[in-house]
Amino acid sequence: MTTQTFHDQVIAILPKLRIQALSLARNRAAADDLVQDAVCNALAAQDSFIPGTNFSAWMHRILRNRFISDLRKRRDTADIDDVPASSFATNPTHEDNLALKDLSMALSRLPADQREALVMVVVQGMSYEELAEASGCAVGTAKSRVFRARRQLEAWMTGDLPTNDKLRVRVTALRAVLDQRRREGHDDEDLLSF
Amino acid sequence: MSGGKDGKEPAARPDPESAFDLWLKRGLHQLFDSVANEPVPEELLRLIDEDREGKEEGET
Repeated sequence: MTTQTFHDQVIAILPKLRIQALSLARNRAAADDLVQDAVCNALAAQDSFIPGTNFSAWMHRILRNRFISDLRKRRDTADIDDVPASSFATNPTHEDNLALKDLSMALSRLPADQREALVMVVVQGMSYEELAEASGCAVGTAKSRVFRARRQLEAWMTGDLPTNDKLRVRVTALRAVLDQRRREGHDDEDLLSF
Repeated sequence: MSGGKDGKEPAARPDPESAFDLWLKRGLHQLFDSVANEPVPEELLRLIDEDREGKEEGET
């Protein structure tokens, strides 16, 4: 493989790296930083890439390792729960926007490895084998992560939750407030202006 | 009967996607597709191109 091809491949895979980064970091600014850091690492390590092997998996593993490395550094000074709140991209133009926000909140509560696995399979269309190679884990582990993420989300989103679940309480309370404001005749535009 | 035309049971297939799976797929695409479709930041492209040029100069 020539150097030209290597750099072209880095550019070509950037959209997928951005999705992976957002699934791990949960907010756009952190995801952008993560992609940039991963690209720097890849450029620095390009001589270690073996031509003919799976470039996509190599690149995804670099980004994943960088995320884990950054997380470990942050844990020295901050608790994991101090990570900035989720801000997955949403455009409030759909009537089911509330459900989308619920999904965003629920996603942010999943363990990072499950969230990443679900997004890479469902959004990026990866097979379990590709996910396993990109994550550096066994195929069974990859399947299990996707299965557990999906099952947990279904439980949260369909209300099959412990009665003391904080997210459910918050969502229920928010819906009650919004319903009340709708009944009071507020426009959809100012429903969230508390 | 559910057998195939030759009398054998059809090959096992994955379960069809449930309503929740379809909803989840749609929701995840709404959350993530815009990120993939955004233009790549110029700064990042410049970083890659500078490294490419450096490598090419090093080879000549």
